[in-house]
Amino acid sequence: MSALRWGCGASGLRRALWPAGRPGLLAEEGAFSGVWGRRRSLSASPCEQDRRKDWRHAELLEVLEARVRQLQAECVSEVTVKRVGLAQLPEAGGFQTRRKAQKGGEGAAPGSCDHWVQKLDKEKWTMRRHKQQLEAKLQVRAQQLACEHRLRRVPQLRSAPLAERLLRWEQGAPRSPWEEQLARLLQEAPQKLSLEAEQAHKAGGPSSRLETQQQRLLAFLECCLLSGHLPLAHHVLVTCHGTWRQQRMLTLAMYNTVMLGWARKGSFRELVYVFFMVKDAGLTPDLLSYAAALQCMGRLGQDARTVQRCLDQMAQDGLQLQDIFTSVPLCPREQAALLQAVRKAQPAFSPPLRPQPEPQVNSSPLLREIYAQEGPTSYPKLHLPLQKLKALFQEQLRVEMATTVTVESVEKAQTPTEEVLHARNTLKQLRATWVEELCAGLQEVKASEARAARTGRPTLFPYLCLLTEEELAQLLLQTLQVLPPQGESLLSLAQQLGLRVFNRYAVQKQQLSQVQALQQRYYQYLHLLASDTQVAVPCLPRQYWETLGTPEAPHEQPWPLPVLVHLGKRLAEMLVEVVRMPGSLAAPQGSCTLIPVLYHVYSFRSFRQIGILKPHPAFTQLLATAAEHTLTFEAAEVPMLCPPVPWTSPHTGAFLLSPTKLMRSLEGTMQHQRLLDSCPPAELHGALDALTQLGNCAWRVNERVLDLVLELFAAKGCPRLGVPAPPSEAPRPPEGRLPPDASPAQKAELRRELARCLKVAREMHSLRSDALYRLSLAQHLRHRVFWLPHNMDFRGRTYPCPPHFNHLGSDLARALLEFAQGRPLGPNGLDWLKIHLVNLTGLKKSEPLRARLRFADEMMEDILDSADRPMTGRKWWMEVDEPWQALACCMEIARAVRAPDPTAYVSHFPVHQDGSCNGLQHYAALGRDSVGAASVNLLPSDVPQDVYSRVAAQVEAVRRQDARRGVQVAQVLEGFVSRKVVKQTVMTVVYGVTRYGGRLQIERRLRELGSFPQEFVWEASHYLVRQVFNSLQEMFSGTRAIQHWLTESARLIAHSGSAVEWVTPLGIPIIQPYHRDSKVLISGGIQSLTFSNSGDTSQKPNTLKQKNGFPPNFIHSLDSSHMMLTALHCYRKGLTFVSVHDCFWTHAADVEVMNQVCREQFVRLHSQPILHNLSRFLTKRFCSGIRFPLHSKSMRTDKLQDTLKSVPKTGSFDLKQVNHSTYFFS
Amino acid sequence: MSVPVAGLPSRLLLSALTGAGRFCVLGSGVARGKAVPARNLRGLSDLHPQLLPSQNFKDSPSWLPKKPSEPRSYITNPNLATTLVQILQEENRNPHQLFLECNPGPGILTQALLESQAKVIALECNRTFLPHLKSLRKKVNKKLEVVHCDFFKLDPRNSGIVKPPIMLSETLFQSMGIEALPWSEDNPLKVVGIFPAKNEKKILWKLLYDLYSSTSIYSYGRVQLNMFIAEKEYEKLVAGPHNSLYQPLSVLWQVACDIKLLHMEPWSSFSVYNQVGGPKKLKNKESLEQINKQMGQNMCFIQLTPRQNLFTENLTSVNYDVFFHMLKQCFMKRYGTLMDHLQSLSPVNAVSILKQIEKDEYMKITDLYPEDFKLLFEAIECSRESCRWLFDDSIEDIVL
Repeated sequence: MSALRWGCGASGLRRALWPAGRPGLLAEEGAFSGVWGRRRSLSASPCEQDRRKDWRHAELLEVLEARVRQLQAECVSEVTVKRVGLAQLPEAGGFQTRRKAQKGGEGAAPGSCDHWVQKLDKEKWTMRRHKQQLEAKLQVRAQQLACEHRLRRVPQLRSAPLAERLLRWEQGAPRSPWEEQLARLLQEAPQKLSLEAEQAHKAGGPSSRLETQQQRLLAFLECCLLSGHLPLAHHVLVTCHGTWRQQRMLTLAMYNTVMLGWARKGSFRELVYVFFMVKDAGLTPDLLSYAAALQCMGRLGQDARTVQRCLDQMAQDGLQLQDIFTSVPLCPREQAALLQAVRKAQPAFSPPLRPQPEPQVNSSPLLREIYAQEGPTSYPKLHLPLQKLKALFQEQLRVEMATTVTVESVEKAQTPTEEVLHARNTLKQLRATWVEELCAGLQEVKASEARAARTGRPTLFPYLCLLTEEELAQLLLQTLQVLPPQGESLLSLAQQLGLRVFNRYAVQKQQLSQVQALQQRYYQYLHLLASDTQVAVPCLPRQYWETLGTPEAPHEQPWPLPVLVHLGKRLAEMLVEVVRMPGSLAAPQGSCTLIPVLYHVYSFRSFRQIGILKPHPAFTQLLATAAEHTLTFEAAEVPMLCPPVPWTSPHTGAFLLSPTKLMRSLEGTMQHQRLLDSCPPAELHGALDALTQLGNCAWRVNERVLDLVLELFAAKGCPRLGVPAPPSEAPRPPEGRLPPDASPAQKAELRRELARCLKVAREMHSLRSDALYRLSLAQHLRHRVFWLPHNMDFRGRTYPCPPHFNHLGSDLARALLEFAQGRPLGPNGLDWLKIHLVNLTGLKKSEPLRARLRFADEMMEDILDSADRPMTGRKWWMEVDEPWQALACCMEIARAVRAPDPTAYVSHFPVHQDGSCNGLQHYAALGRDSVGAASVNLLPSDVPQDVYSRVAAQVEAVRRQDARRGVQVAQVLEGFVSRKVVKQTVMTVVYGVTRYGGRLQIERRLRELGSFPQEFVWEASHYLVRQVFNSLQEMFSGTRAIQHWLTESARLIAHSGSAVEWVTPLGIPIIQPYHRDSKVLISGGIQSLTFSNSGDTSQKPNTLKQKNGFPPNFIHSLDSSHMMLTALHCYRKGLTFVSVHDCFWTHAADVEVMNQVCREQFVRLHSQPILHNLSRFLTKRFCSGIRFPLHSKSMRTDKLQDTLKSVPKTGSFDLKQVNHSTYFFS
Repeated sequence: MSVPVAGLPSRLLLSALTGAGRFCVLGSGVARGKAVPARNLRGLSDLHPQLLPSQNFKDSPSWLPKKPSEPRSYITNPNLATTLVQILQEENRNPHQLFLECNPGPGILTQALLESQAKVIALECNRTFLPHLKSLRKKVNKKLEVVHCDFFKLDPRNSGIVKPPIMLSETLFQSMGIEALPWSEDNPLKVVGIFPAKNEKKILWKLLYDLYSSTSIYSYGRVQLNMFIAEKEYEKLVAGPHNSLYQPLSVLWQVACDIKLLHMEPWSSFSVYNQVGGPKKLKNKESLEQINKQMGQNMCFIQLTPRQNLFTENLTSVNYDVFFHMLKQCFMKRYGTLMDHLQSLSPVNAVSILKQIEKDEYMKITDLYPEDFKLLFEAIECSRESCRWLFDDSIEDIVL
């Protein structure tokens, strides 16, 4: 500080040189007129005349001298100010006195002035101003810091009358109570001005950037509430409200959120502040606002008059009191408080009962039978007694409360050598330090985020507070543990981390009381399922669950994607910053430098770069050496140990505590949830019940198969049988360097070889870890019964929730599973096992069932040999299409035939029935194409039909003609048109493959044929794809018309600016989540992340995807409906049923029943006017209303309407015949 | 601005072509007229009825470019051609030097080259010009070879379909009887041409990959490029430390080649011809905008001669991609210090590496000269550790 003063003083002393009469300067200094005036009064001070003579010389000298000092001073002042920071600021007085002295010389100074003087003068002046600004800034900062400990509570209002009122009330608080003000405030008409602004703003349409900001702020406020930082939320709201630019961003939902927070706390004063802001922003309070106000009054026990005034105002605003209880999500305690307030004013008031689920019945005619009360029902029961199931529930509850499951790895356990033990020890020590350091790091991050939040920005602070630091640190270390050696992209890592934090929090949030309530309800529910209990009326699991209690509390809203990624990114950054390990592990600890464990590197794809977090090779090495034999999974990644909770709403069901969505979707896609939430609950019953039922199937591990697989896995693997080899089997790149004179060709060869090795090794690693997870889980669940809860994708296709170990997937994965519940084979069960075996071998595809059965009998010796000596015998099973499942089937057959009475043999083995080209089956049924229907087995026939062979035959016929006419390609193709060449294209035509894609597929097939002259590949594939399309067109004429109609409709709908929506025959609402990409940018930190979200509904629909996606998605929605119908009817008949899309599984004894149900339901499904219903729905949804004021648009609507209404004509196929078709599903 | 086509020997040919209706724009700036490319397209279709897409199937046959290709510039000014030939032949010891001319178009430069005794292989990607060039060939008695080939798309990396004008350099060079020379020898041939305006960057990278891996044309030795390039791109190529244009591309080219600026020419001296107009006018508009943007610029005629000492014991055509990756990664954080970068590049002891290359740890990436990068790379590469690079397994095939 002294240096600063000295600098000013020194220059100030040169008063003699100060030139007089400089109006320009005066004007410039106008801002300091007060100071100036005083200075002027002193201007008559004595002067030194003698100096004048040699002034020129002196002046220059002194000017330069002053300049030097000034520069010194300037630079010091910067530094000092920074250092001084908060220290008391110097009084401006000291500065002024010197100025006064300086001014004294003014009159005496010569009239002429040199530019040097001017310069000095000017600089002196700027410096002074600079300093003053700095002072002002420092003062503000000091003030800020001083009040930083206090969060702002009192809002700053724009509307003058409101602000005045607030001030008056604020000061006169005791005289007019706050309640009074609220009532008066409520009567206040909304501010006109801001309302207009709001409208103008709305007309422009919110930009996606603004929307993201709004989303972020709202999520921030909500999270503040959850993490108990309500004052901070209020502060941020007040701060945003105070600045006009940010105020535009605020929505009623944000005010309501904070208001609700205060209501829960019973802080009326703050609640009124928020009401002031709502009014100031020109918004009209809605039900939620009133609910908050009333709740607060209830908690404080306010008098009747206040409540009544509030209720009156509510009525004036056109809001119904009843609605608060029906349409505002409230927890019981909130509801009680609310009711207390209302009863003060209206003692007789009773809240309307929530609509009972009973009267609501699904309206779909297809489901009428399912929900019919009368008729025979024999819902299946589990084979386990009540006590056992209760114990299982306890186990599962423990697992989910712990949030993670530690599973022993099946990787061959090493004998722990000295080295291994040392490595494990090192790791343990390192982890302990890391947890400490991460906790410290997290504290720092939290502190800085909290500081940032105080400036009024929504930051990550509340999100970081949801879990303890220790928990977050553990979560980060788990992530580090499973990072693949080649690294993972920062974006996906960030998203995963964010999601895991959310899920953990959602589990933890459930309080003990809720868990107890759940347990009670679940125990009762088990009476329906357990083998040794009965319930009064047989009903579906969901129905029973619903009778046992009230609907669940409102579910946790997922955080917006940008928040998830931002949070995850911040955590990942911390991991990079904090986690370090000694550079060389051999050296004693502490003696060598620490190196980061994670690196942020880039991968370059053409001109794009992707940030990757990659573990240091030393760390990977350490992990490998330590060979720790445990794997950690999230609780929701492991199959359940007790029957899942029945699905009762779009977000309740499946796991006990872990949140699961009924409809899975890409993170950040909200439209499916919105659609499901807005749909009447009864409409979803079909889907809810089908999913519940699929999840209720009990599974166990096929232990003998698992043993064999593990044996192979521990040895060198066997890629041919789908058991991946260990990394030691990876091809080694050639050793050593090439001689310097190697030719370019040699070098290129070496490079290719290196690249190939790298690629193979990486693929092997990912396959191996995939298998490791699956087998470790299988081993973990060996000797146990477990359940696979299901949910569906946006088209209604069902999937098991646990990702690693389930019945979807490869041959190996399927062979590891069997039904936990057994059924005696019965009279035909053994035959079905045999047929199933032959189906799995893929050998007798075009033979009738009898021939397949005969073949199985012929092969019985091989079958038994395979079963008894799978690895040492003739190994017949290894040669077939699906070896592991075939082996499992061989074993089952062996056991059955050796049983004293095969019909009484209790089989756990699932037998599959596949739809043959299921997509085309649905198309053929929709279009009633006779030829097509026959080729996909909708017509009864003695031998199974094969559509691929048929198409191949037709193409061949055309080719022969062309060849005769001299078409060269046709001649070249002689002998190459086979089923295999056309199969993939025919199969995928249903799913919208284009000619372009079809040609590529055929090209690939032709390239595989070594004997085909490769120079013709391009031309030939072109020719073939045209022929394939033509023959399909002929066989499935109706299909093509329907496809075309669907595509065209989707195109027009997308053009009109909407995403295509429809409702499946079972009533599931579907919307295609294809929009133009919206880019989200998260900047700062180690790298800016940009990701695009194609599910953002505020963007225009992506016409191409909407159009190309509609036909296949629609067909999928039909096949899923068929599956669900079959599932529900099978359940009613007491069957065990699961499915892999168009492959239905049941016990061998029940195959015939299932087949019958499956055919019946197909006929019933397609007897509905599906296309007409679709047309009606689309017309109503997209062509009605007054949405098209413009002429051009109405033209477009007309065209859309015409298209939608012109449902394609259908053929003459008689659907009933499906009932008698043996090979429909076989 | 107008190029004096009139009164020169080439004129006759040109007007003949124009008369045929295939080729109408040969004046500078004329390409701004929108109607021109469209008319031109029609002319093309009329002349080649067999090229018309057959009506019965929807997807366009793939031999027609999916997008209308960008307009190309051509040398049509004979004075310019003469100047260029003078420059090119100046340092030539061999008067019968072999030139590979990319997209000669109307063949003005070709003629000038031929007149100077040079042998020329003309690689033309536009069918329109082929008949004219072939007729030229007959006149000069086989000192000219004409091939329908796109020089800039030689040896497609993603093993795409090889169909004219896309060719393999092996096929091309073999049929021309060109023999590979070892890297230590003088350049086997000189390539003359103009970088297409639209994807200069992409082509410059493709050439770099070819050069460092000694594949494609560079498997025949140190092929010398004599190319016209937009001034802006040229500045990027030769940018050095402390220049905001300094980037991996600059380092790689400067390490690999001697870069000489031979001549500068205003962009207006070139003529633009829009190859296949395409049905949509919108796209033409875009390309027109691009042309307009370029109008004020100069074109630089530069010579890129691969250095004899490019490859060393530690930088070879086997590990060059590590070098590429290192540079790209360094320039991602161009103001980061050398020490920070070293730590995320390599587990090798950073201090000893710095000592070896005699650099200070606080140096920024933008302080390093291209040679320094090469030194740095070699220093790390020759260290004896088993794992030298932290990203060696994140190398991927770069498809350009």
